Parts: sequence; C-alpha cells; structure tokens
Amino acid sequence: MNTTPLTTFSKYRLAGFYLAIGLIVLSLIGLGTKGLNLGLDFSGGYMTEFTTSQSIAKSQMQSQLASQLSADFELSSSAGNTQWTLRQADGVADVIDKTWLTTFASQSGFDITPQDSVYIGSQVGAELIDNGSLALLVAAIAMMLYLTWRFEWRLACGSLVALVHDVIVVLGLFAWLGLPFDLTVLASVLAIIGYSLNDSIIIGDRLREVMRAKNNMSMSDLVDTAIKSTMTRSLITSGTTLATISAIWIFGGQPLQGFAIGLFAGVVFGTLSSVAVSATIPQLIGLKPEFYQQRAQALLVNDEP
Amino acid sequence: MRTTTSKPKYTWQILVIVITVFILGLNAIPTLYGNNNALLVSVIKPSQTQANTQQIAGAQQLPSPIQLPSVQRLRKVMQQADIQVKQIITNNTDSKIVIEGDDEALLRAQQQLKNTLSDAYQVRLGSQSAAPSWLQELGMAPIKLGLDLSGGVLFVLEVDTNKADQERLGNVKDQILQLIHDQGLRGVSVKIAASNNTSEGNGAMTLQFSPQQATQVKSLINELRQELPDINYTKTSERNASLVFTEQSINTFHQEIMAQALTTLRGRIAELGITEAVTQRQGKNRIRIELPGVKDPEQAKRIIGATASLDFYELASSDTMGAKNFSDEDGRHLTVAPKPIFSGSNIENANAGRDELGMALVNLALDGLGGKRMSEFSKANIGKPMVTVFSEYYKNTNNELVKSSKVISVATIQSQLGNRFSITNLSSPQAAADLALLLRAGSLDAPISIVQQRTIQASLGQENVGNGMMALSIGLSITLLFMALWYRKLGLIANASLVLNLVCLLGLMALLPNVVLTLPGIAGLVLTVGMAVDTNVLIFERIKEERLRGRSNFMAIETGYKEAFATILDANITTMITALILLSIGYGPVKGFAMTLSLGILTSMFTGVFVAHVLTYLVKPQIRIKQQEQI
Repeated sequence: MNTTPLTTFSKYRLAGFYLAIGLIVLSLIGLGTKGLNLGLDFSGGYMTEFTTSQSIAKSQMQSQLASQLSADFELSSSAGNTQWTLRQADGVADVIDKTWLTTFASQSGFDITPQDSVYIGSQVGAELIDNGSLALLVAAIAMMLYLTWRFEWRLACGSLVALVHDVIVVLGLFAWLGLPFDLTVLASVLAIIGYSLNDSIIIGDRLREVMRAKNNMSMSDLVDTAIKSTMTRSLITSGTTLATISAIWIFGGQPLQGFAIGLFAGVVFGTLSSVAVSATIPQLIGLKPEFYQQRAQALLVNDEP
Repeated sequence: MRTTTSKPKYTWQILVIVITVFILGLNAIPTLYGNNNALLVSVIKPSQTQANTQQIAGAQQLPSPIQLPSVQRLRKVMQQADIQVKQIITNNTDSKIVIEGDDEALLRAQQQLKNTLSDAYQVRLGSQSAAPSWLQELGMAPIKLGLDLSGGVLFVLEVDTNKADQERLGNVKDQILQLIHDQGLRGVSVKIAASNNTSEGNGAMTLQFSPQQATQVKSLINELRQELPDINYTKTSERNASLVFTEQSINTFHQEIMAQALTTLRGRIAELGITEAVTQRQGKNRIRIELPGVKDPEQAKRIIGATASLDFYELASSDTMGAKNFSDEDGRHLTVAPKPIFSGSNIENANAGRDELGMALVNLALDGLGGKRMSEFSKANIGKPMVTVFSEYYKNTNNELVKSSKVISVATIQSQLGNRFSITNLSSPQAAADLALLLRAGSLDAPISIVQQRTIQASLGQENVGNGMMALSIGLSITLLFMALWYRKLGLIANASLVLNLVCLLGLMALLPNVVLTLPGIAGLVLTVGMAVDTNVLIFERIKEERLRGRSNFMAIETGYKEAFATILDANITTMITALILLSIGYGPVKGFAMTLSLGILTSMFTGVFVAHVLTYLVKPQIRIKQQEQI
C-alpha cells in the first residue's frame, strides 16, 4: 500500500487518525477513572431552583441553608450568585417545597423567588439509564445494518469506528470536565450519531465513486481525492451547524447548556473523525479500487448508462 | 427520476409547492400571535341542582336551575377588577372571557368572578388563540407549548398493579369462604400465598382440605369458575390445591386498571378546572400528567394522588364468615358484612354542602344499579344502621403503600331511600369538598404514587421562550448571511428554501395533534436550520464540479440535483433513524427534540431538494467558475 511516497495531505490525514485514537484512549481513561457525573434525570432525587434579587455569597447561603435543613444537600449558583440550584437525594426527610422556601425567605431575610422544582424517583432514574444505553446500542446496530446494506463492509466499518470515536470522545469530555450528564445530553449524543454518519456517508459515497472512475491511482491517493472534493462541503456544513449550536450555547440559557456543549464537541470531533478515520480505516484494512471496478462491471447490465 | 434532457415546464411542481406552502404557512400564522389568557365560566352540572334529595339525616334546600350570567354582567365584574376584556364567547354550556394581561391578572380575574358569582358557577382557567377570528374559524390553532415554555406542573404517577392483584385475590378469597360456608365444608381453608415483589407479584391461593372432601371441593370450584372462568385450578397433592388467575386474565385486568386510572385521573383534572392538561400512559404502569398554568401544585397533588374509595356496609354479627372489622373515630369496633351494599363506583354525582346546623355534608346521587340496591336494602332494614367506610392508601415510614380504612358514619336508616341521599357529619367544609370531588371523578382501585414531579414557574417559561427565540433568530441570521455571501445567487435560493423550510416545519407542528413545542424542541429547530443547508451545499458543490467538467449551465444544474440526491437521501435516512430511536425511548425533553428533528428532516428534504430545484429553474442563475478551483 505504501509503494508510492505519501503526499503531505495523506500525512496530515494519518496524523489525524492517530490523534483520534489517542483521544479515544484518553476518553476511556477519563470514563474509567472519573466516570460520568450523572444528572438528576438518571440519579433521581429532588432539585429546587430559585433566584435571589441580590447577589449573596455562596458560603453565606450554604450556612443559612444548613442551619434550616437537617438533610444533606448540594448547592450550586450561577449568574453572579443570584441563581441557585439545590439538589437532594431521593428519600430525604426534609424536602424543600414552596412553603419551605417562603419560610426560609422570611427567616433568612433573602428575597427569594422560586423558579423550578423537580422530583424524580430513583427507580425512574435507574430505568432511564437502562433505556438510554439500550437506545445507544439499538442506534449503533441499526446504523451498522443500514451501512452494510448500503456500502461494502470495510467502508461500513470505517464509518462505525468514526461513530464510536465521536460518542466516546464526547462522553470522555463530559467525564473529564465533570459536567452533569442529563437527558438532554443523551439526546445530543444520539444526535451526534446521526450527524457523524451523515459526514462519513458523504465521504464514503464519494470514495466509491472515485474508485469506480479511476484505477490508475494508489488507494491512498484515491482516499485523498475523495476527502478533498468533499472538504468544502464538510467545512461549510460543520461551520453553519457550529454557528447555530453556538447560538444555542450562548443565548439558549442554562437548561440547554449541556445539550449545546455535547453537540458542539460532537460536531468538532465528528468532522475530524469523518475526515481522518472513516476513509482511512477501509484503506488500512485492505479496501482496493478493484473491488468497485469489478462490481461496477457486474452491475453494468442493470445500471443506467 | 426524469431522464429527459429537454427543458421541463415544472407546472405541476410549482402548483404542489404553492399549495403546500400556502396550507402550512396558514397553519404557522396563529403561532406568531400566541395565546391570550381566558376564563371559562360554567354552571356546575345541572343534575346536582335538582332538588329532590333524600337524606339519611338532616335536610338541605338546593337552588333551582340557573342560567349563565349575562355578557353585560361579566363585563361589569371584569371592570370592577380593572381587567381589559378582549372578547366574550358564549355557548350553551359556558362563557369564555378572553382577557388582556398576564397570569397575575388572570388569577385576579378568577378571584373576582368567584367572589361575585354564586357558588353554583365554576370558574376555570384557559386560553384562547390571539390570531384573527377568520383563522380560528378555519380551525387553525397555535403550536401547543410544553411545560418548560408555559410553566406548570408535571406529575408522573405509578399505578401499583401488584396491590390491585392482591386486592382482587382478597375478594376471591372472601367469595370462596362464603361458598365453603354455604356448603358446610368444615375444615377447608384458603390462604393467599405471600406475594414476593421480585416475581410477577401475582400471588396464588392455596386450598387445604382433607382427602375425603376432594369431590365436594371440586364442585365448589366448578361453582366458583362459573363466575370467574379465568381462574385455574391445579391439585398439587392429596390435601392441597392451588388457584391462580391465567396470565391472560392478569394482563387484561392490568389493562383495565390502567384504563380506569386514566379515566379517573382525567375526571379529577377536569374537576380541578384545568382545560389543557395532557394525560397519557407512559410505559407499562405509569401515567404522565402535564398541567400547564397550574398555580397551586399542592392542591393538584392532593387531588390527583388520592386513592380514596367509599363503601357502604350492612352491620353484621361477628361470627359471619368473612366479616370485616373496622373501627371508628371513637375506637369502637364494628363488624360488617363481607360484601358492601354498593361502592363508590355506583356514585353518579356528589357535591358538598352544609346541613341546617352548618355541618359539612356531601350530597350523593347513585346510578341505576346503586339506586336499586340502596332502595331494596333500606326497605328491608328500616331502623337499622348502615356503615360508611372511607378507605385510602398512604405511604408508611418504610415507603410502602398501606391501605387505611375508617368508618366515617354509622347512620340509622329512617325510611326507604332512593338514589339520592347525603353523608353527614364530615369534619370540615374542605374535607367535604375534597370528598365530593373524589367521588364525582370516580375511585381508583389500584393505589397510585407519585414518582416524578416538576413545578415550573410561568416566569421561567417565558424566559425559556425568549432564550429559545433569541438562539433561533441568531442562528438563522448567521446561516442566511453566510449562504448569501458564499454562494451569491445560488445562496439566495438556498436561503429562500431555508425560510420556507422553517415556515413548513412550524405549520406542520401546529397542524399535527400531539406535537408539543418544548425548549429542547426549539434547540432541534435551530439545529435543523444549521443542518438543512447541507442539502443545498451538497447540490451546489456538485453543480460547481459539473461546470468544471465542462457541462453547460443548465446541464450542470440538472446533473447536480440528480447526482446529489442519492447522497442526500442516505444522509437524511441515517439522521431519521436516530430521530426515530430518540422518539421511541424519550419522554419529555428528549421527545420534543426528536419530534422537531424528525419533522425537520422531512421538511428540509422537501424544500432543499424539491423547492430549491424549481427555484433554480425559475431563477436560472449563471454559475461561473474560476479555473484555479480545479482539483
């Protein structure tokens, strides 16, 4: 395969391929050591959100709450210590509700407005983990079936590795940064699966086409040609998609933050993997242009001229 | 696919596009107007106001049938509360007052109406599309907003089917005991095997008898099976036999319980005066209830989560087989007949009131069957007491559901009663009102518990709508600007089809029932905008390539659209697969996202391929190419 010297583009492509492998390893380490910070959707429990009209030091709020609440809780704040999120585990004795907050407001002297309160039974959360993992698995299998039907198995394999790369790297990112992994992030991961395949298929389609047309080039050059000719498209689509995701990230408010981060990372790594992984793998596991030329001949009878 | 190379006319294509865009566009318009707050004034069910109630104790005067208040009067009441009325729509059953102003004004208006109008009226909260009336007359409504955008309360309830199974077995056991007693089979015993929650939970019953009694037991079982054909009888040994319900029977029973729970909960929500609630089954034994615009989640929780039932019993001597024991508030033990005379399910109507001494009471109206039983029973038992038992499930400290029953009244029957009478001696007007509401809405046989609850303030909802719309408009502007700068004339075509895509998507969402727009749904919308241009980009890049290969302008466009189509289809099918998987697992936020994503794929295929193709033909752009772009 390496009979002809590699072009600069091929070198970059291979470098990208090794980078992708490195990222997978790094992500797996993160997932193994730190694990995902499962959000309320999966862990179950209570979450209460409220705002205060003035900025209050977090330590002050923490001690005020601790003096009123007998049970354990977790406090976080945003928007300059005016937006507060309180989390409690399922089954605690002291549950915060609207009346509790009103009493707390009058006792502490803070001006408190309740915003959102959520209770999710731990049973529901556990079920959701099962359903979520099942959905990821079913999605991967459905994709593989569709791809093997549509493409040659080596091409399908390349797209699948790219897809697994994207999912693992996004999960790894969430593990390393300790960002809460909730239902919307799961949705973004599933959306990434679709997006990643989208990219891989377009490159695969083109690779198939150049393999049919040109048999005087080395496999490496054919892959380069396919990637180069779809490069403009890949960059434009990733660009507009990233621009809209940034709009969600910046303006969509707190509830969509995790979703936007997941998608953003997914599109960035998805573009990398579709360029560097999805077409490189078939080359490495021995896809030859002869395969499609023979096939094209065999199909010539049925094909449109 | 067309294979001709002659210039096509595209007449029917243009027609299809114009009609589709027109219809979907019209549907999209009401969403831009949004909703106005509204109040619904109605007369409390007329059957409750007919004054022929007979009572066990005390007498009560009920008002004569009443009319809806006049439009002038309603306007005046609203003026007093300083609220701008936009419109009052009156029909046979209710008057809808559409007002200007926010939720706070709405609540003020409701309070004012409640204070001014008599108790015979019910004032519920609702909303009315703010779109011009001609659009509304065409049946077009705005897109329904999810709880995270409108504010409100979400409950997910779990129906405890295991408990219901046990309850049913208990009833069968009583029935068998009765049969054993009737046939004089001494020494035969029935036991319900302890149900272990790890397995199916459908406990079996074991019969123990001496070997000589085998034939008699057999005939007993035959008699039982005439009433309950779904029960399976297996003799396990000389002295033992087991009785189990068939798998199919258990499934049907669970289906019935879920259906009953859904109907009952819908009834209760309607009683609470919430008009736009979403009540649906979620999974095997859960029910999801979304109550937009509910201001008092605690009341909603109390009413929705209650599993109260009411049974009326005859007193019995303590040696009766299968007799039940209850104790009343004073700690007296009462023994009652195993089977109630009639139960809460026979109650057709109930409303709270007061007797002449000011004590709270509930007036009941029974259905045909209940009325008949009551009439027969009371005729034969004048001067004897009747026991009313109120049962409720509650959670004990170990988080287990426990049934608690208490006697709420032991009343002496004064005369033969018909289908109308009252339960007197209730502790408070609130207790009477809650009991009446629960009895009206029907009882729940299986206990339910809340497994998920969420309260979103309306202000947070409005903030979410604002954020979502901001993200959408910025994302859209960036995309439109980029496409126009990068592709020039072709870019304008892409932009036109992108805007049409958004219009069609909004129209489709408003048109389809069960589609609810949520915050993640808006995110899906924004994402669709970013990804929809992919279709155009693929085609335009292809056209450029074809031009480079030296094809004519027209041929390059035609080949570009044709060649890119297979790739576009592939790419969209894969996204569609993920969207459908998301739809199937997701509830709430994920579902909203999956919904807009999948509908967005359909509309972007339509506008990106079909509409853009026709537009390209109409505009006939000249695609110039620079030679250095050649690869």
